[in-house]
Amino acid sequence: MPKTKARAKPGPRAKVESRSITLRVNGRTIEAETPPHRTLLEALRDAGFVDVKRGCEKGDCGACAVLLDGVAVDSCLTLAWTVEGRDIVTAAGLGSHDAMHPLQRAFVERGAIQCGYCTPGLIVAAQSLLAEAPDPSEDDIRLGLSGNLCRCTGYTKVFEAIRDAAAEMRSARRRR
Amino acid sequence: MSAPFDPNRNLANVSLRHVGKPLVRTDAPGKATGRTPYAGDYVMPGMLHAKVLRSPMPSARLVRLDVSKARALEGVALVLTARDLPDRLAPTDIPGQTGQTRLKTDQQILVRERVRYHGEPLALIAAESVDVAEKAMSLIDYDLEPWPGVFDPESAMRPGAPVVQGTDNIVARHAIGKGDIDAGFAAADMVVERTYRTQFIEHAFLEPEVGLAWVDENDVVNIRVSTQVIEHFRFIADAIGVPHNKVRIMGALVGGGFGGKEDITVEIYLALLAKHTGRPVRLEFTREDSFVGHGKRHPFILTYKTGVKRNGKITALDVRLVSDAGAYVFLSPYVLLYGAIAAPGPYLIENLKVDAVSVATNNMYTSAFRGFGSAQACVAYEQQMDEVAQAIGIDRLDLRRRNYLKTGEPTATGYRVPSAVWTERCADIAWQALGEKTPAKGAIRIGRGLAAYQQSYGRLTFLHDTSEAWVGVEVDGTVIVRSGVTDIGAGQASALAQIAIEVLGVNMENVVVYNSDSAVTPLAGTTTATRALYMTGNAARVAAEAVRGRLVARAAKAFGVPVDDVVLADNKVSALDRPDKAMSFADLVRLCATEGIQRSELAMFRAPFTDRLDPATGQGQAFADFTYGAHAIEVAVDTETGEVTVLKSVACHDVGQCINPAAVEGQIEGGAAQGQGYALSEEMIYREGRLMTPSLSEYLIPTAMDVPVVKSIILESRSGVGPFGAKGIGEPALTPVAPAIANAVADAIGRRIHDLPITPEKVVRALHGID
Amino acid sequence: MYATFDLDRPGDLAAALAILRTKGAVALAGGTNLIVDMRAGRERPQRVVSLDKLGVLRGIRQARGQVTIGGRTTVTDLLLSPVIAKTAPALVESARQFAGQMVRNTATVAGNIACGSPAADLVPPLFALDARLTLVSARGRRTVPIESFFIGYKKDIRRPGELISRISWKAPSSRSCALFYKLARRKGDAITVVGVAVALDVERGRCRRARVALGAVAPTVFRAREAEAILEGQTLTPELIESAAEAAAAAARPIDDIRASAAYRRHGVHALVRRLIGQAWEKLA
Repeated sequence: MPKTKARAKPGPRAKVESRSITLRVNGRTIEAETPPHRTLLEALRDAGFVDVKRGCEKGDCGACAVLLDGVAVDSCLTLAWTVEGRDIVTAAGLGSHDAMHPLQRAFVERGAIQCGYCTPGLIVAAQSLLAEAPDPSEDDIRLGLSGNLCRCTGYTKVFEAIRDAAAEMRSARRRR
Repeated sequence: MSAPFDPNRNLANVSLRHVGKPLVRTDAPGKATGRTPYAGDYVMPGMLHAKVLRSPMPSARLVRLDVSKARALEGVALVLTARDLPDRLAPTDIPGQTGQTRLKTDQQILVRERVRYHGEPLALIAAESVDVAEKAMSLIDYDLEPWPGVFDPESAMRPGAPVVQGTDNIVARHAIGKGDIDAGFAAADMVVERTYRTQFIEHAFLEPEVGLAWVDENDVVNIRVSTQVIEHFRFIADAIGVPHNKVRIMGALVGGGFGGKEDITVEIYLALLAKHTGRPVRLEFTREDSFVGHGKRHPFILTYKTGVKRNGKITALDVRLVSDAGAYVFLSPYVLLYGAIAAPGPYLIENLKVDAVSVATNNMYTSAFRGFGSAQACVAYEQQMDEVAQAIGIDRLDLRRRNYLKTGEPTATGYRVPSAVWTERCADIAWQALGEKTPAKGAIRIGRGLAAYQQSYGRLTFLHDTSEAWVGVEVDGTVIVRSGVTDIGAGQASALAQIAIEVLGVNMENVVVYNSDSAVTPLAGTTTATRALYMTGNAARVAAEAVRGRLVARAAKAFGVPVDDVVLADNKVSALDRPDKAMSFADLVRLCATEGIQRSELAMFRAPFTDRLDPATGQGQAFADFTYGAHAIEVAVDTETGEVTVLKSVACHDVGQCINPAAVEGQIEGGAAQGQGYALSEEMIYREGRLMTPSLSEYLIPTAMDVPVVKSIILESRSGVGPFGAKGIGEPALTPVAPAIANAVADAIGRRIHDLPITPEKVVRALHGID
Repeated sequence: MYATFDLDRPGDLAAALAILRTKGAVALAGGTNLIVDMRAGRERPQRVVSLDKLGVLRGIRQARGQVTIGGRTTVTDLLLSPVIAKTAPALVESARQFAGQMVRNTATVAGNIACGSPAADLVPPLFALDARLTLVSARGRRTVPIESFFIGYKKDIRRPGELISRISWKAPSSRSCALFYKLARRKGDAITVVGVAVALDVERGRCRRARVALGAVAPTVFRAREAEAILEGQTLTPELIESAAEAAAAAARPIDDIRASAAYRRHGVHALVRRLIGQAWEKLA
């Protein structure tokens, strides 16, 4: 990756065309005319997946986190074209009002939500964390959330909610 | 003045069914499942996308602004400059429903000639897409000629300094004089004088400012916007030159405010663009826009001179406050007044002098931020208490105990607080809850600190604050609450639901709250100043009780029992000791409906109305009531690297009465994290007025790796002036945290760092004197 | 984000290298730097070559005492790998403190090296491992020590179209200890103010090999060779460790910025080198 430090002038050629891309999001297939510079965050929001939140667009806050093949990524740092054919899940795709995901339920019951703007990203990060560490220590949880800024809750109830959900998910797995 | 607090009052409240329980908040499920639409999630067919072009220089003269290329770009609908808005100004005074004349602080909407701060808007663009709007921005040509600027308040006060505002940069002064200051110092055994400094702070709410505006068939400008204050509709109407009833503001659940969405942000730009294009327009600030697009927390320079007896009794306090107002006035005069009133803290100071001044500079303008001047004062008065204790050689908590303001005693302005003052109890409990001290090891030293506070809730009483709420019951027994109150994440709407169901005896599933619409929900004032629960909660309670009164009267008639014997609970109506007399709540409502008995009520709650404080002495009533409490901290300081780790963070607050304890804890835990950032890592750095920290990787709010598990201890004196004896907790949760951390660090290293934030570098400098 | 570029997603390395030969082309791996820089207008490539389909560049393996990882290996891959845990504990420590989870899940080891930032967290531990980089281009491949890769602030020896395809190092002996410390203004997701990696090998009570690699205190990450020389061949004493720490601090060429002053950075190097060498020696002694 050669580095150009100065503000390089854009080159003369810019055929740079939009094309129709197909994304698989929350089990649905969507098609959208998309230029190459469109981020996954923008593409998802344009397609109506507005639970994916825009907070900083540079990977500092985690509000836009989505699961890409089960792994949390910042959708603001992902170009939409590069995730064609992959499985994308947003917080809303994990569960619904009538059938909440254990993380969603635990966040609600613990009062781990205040303004709620960071919540979808936190839940996505937590889901990704629990996939690797089903019985996380407090350190695991802190590390797993280190890319998600929350300005309202102070994280205490978020930790509690994730521990609750992890326990529920472990016992559900044992039952199966 | 009200009678002092009677500890026996309000004890009847102990039998609450819903209030005081950690019920699931009405807003939580939608937020957890991603179903809640925020202001930025609304779109309309044919909408345009807006951008704001901003000045990269903090002090300059705009000599040329050429938007012709941008206007000619395909897909650009409109580019507006100050030349297109010859007679328009934006009000910046205190927002909301107050009928009082506003301060003459209206400012230019777009730069006409003079640029006064980095980020001041030069032009507005509306285009078919965000891409086109961004490209259009890059096509605008302008020349800015540097203009002499001034970048700190002390320089700005000197004669001959460049003038940013008015004739001398002084935007406000306040004085408080009480007792005999000279006699007080004469009686002292020792005098301790220190100066403390606080920094510019950014709210860093996760949701950047955003809105969508359209002009409807009645020529009303509708704006769906993320705001703490839907009642800006009046100022917005004034700014665009239409009657007040031609602007409607619809809020949404707000993605964080903390005072940063108290002033107008995107609204006037949106209104102008929608009005000029006749099309819906959406404007979303980028994070970079947000950093330069709303006012910051004021840096204060606070000089405290305390006279004290050997036994710890404070005999005199002389305080000088200087705040940096930045380039425009906004709420600086009020923030300064809060700071002045809060200056002595939760202590009884008989001989007091406060001189406070707010000064304009070419830094970013400063305005509301959780704590609103009181937080800055607490940073100083609680560090000063530790310094005084050390100087006279007595225990820090003993010094405080010797001086705490007690129930019924007068505050700085001579006002006797009507509620319980439980400062001492809160401080002692918080301190004890720190438990066993973590052992020091190697280069790591352990320190502890405490800060107590007094923080008003509710607006300044000379603003004559009111709030309205409507409560009604449907014929199937469900309940509707309507109120303009905005919900900024603390559960403001859910609290109204909990209050209404407490009064009406139905369950949480049976209530819906409609809020935050300036045209169709009764106006409730602002969600600022820790007033929403106090004001709107009282209004909702009054409205619900009126409805209840009519329902109960009808039930009493049906049962043939006295009204006092009718019980409403669990969606049922019954009579005391009469098991044969019962019906469902829905049946009672239907009965009332059949007979035309009114099933709804619109109530207005009025805070105490007072005159302004005496301008010479600052004496009089300023607020309705205050919250008291304390925060205790244990830190580990790495004496080699200077890093500070907060090990324990314990809060104890008397909240009067919890409406929802989980929500109260949420406020406390969040306040603890924000206060930790204020103390240790957060700082908006301006160099000659230019912002050096315009992103969340440079402006460092605490992460999950930084904040310890926060312990919240909630006391309930049931003595507040809010519903069911509630006090406010929104701002108080933050106020004592930073000084408690500063005191803990000083305790750990034996040196005090007098300016926030306490960075690793400052710790190392204090210990090792590098350079 | 608004930018104008063409985007390719080649299916194999040869195709990727062929496109990367064209003028104005840049490779996109994790994107956690490039996308940020493009959005800010600091990078304006004409053509972006996404490596997302090149699974061949991602992986960790150990064979004949040599650890090799693909350039597209992510920071999270490092954290989950038993091989890395065993052979590069300092790298694990730096990976733990690397940004936040989502960035770790996508950011790649090669990307962290190639971004050229002196504050890149993975680089000091790789210096302490004497890691070697394999650079490939359409013209061929070469292997260089990581130490000779950087030639100035955000400048390196790559020729146009060259990619870091592999990073490898010799698995350390059981008589060795490597440590990393990140000094920053915040514990989570922060830009490094001083990064220090040290590695000691001990044989018969003497320090056989010492590495002291410093980040964020010079235009590039670098080895404080004077400090290493003081330690090598010696039985370490507090006095020797102190003089190594002094030598490291003297070798630093830090700058003042919004995060810290040069003086503080130098102080941090001194304190941390002393601390980490002391801890490593104590563990091995």
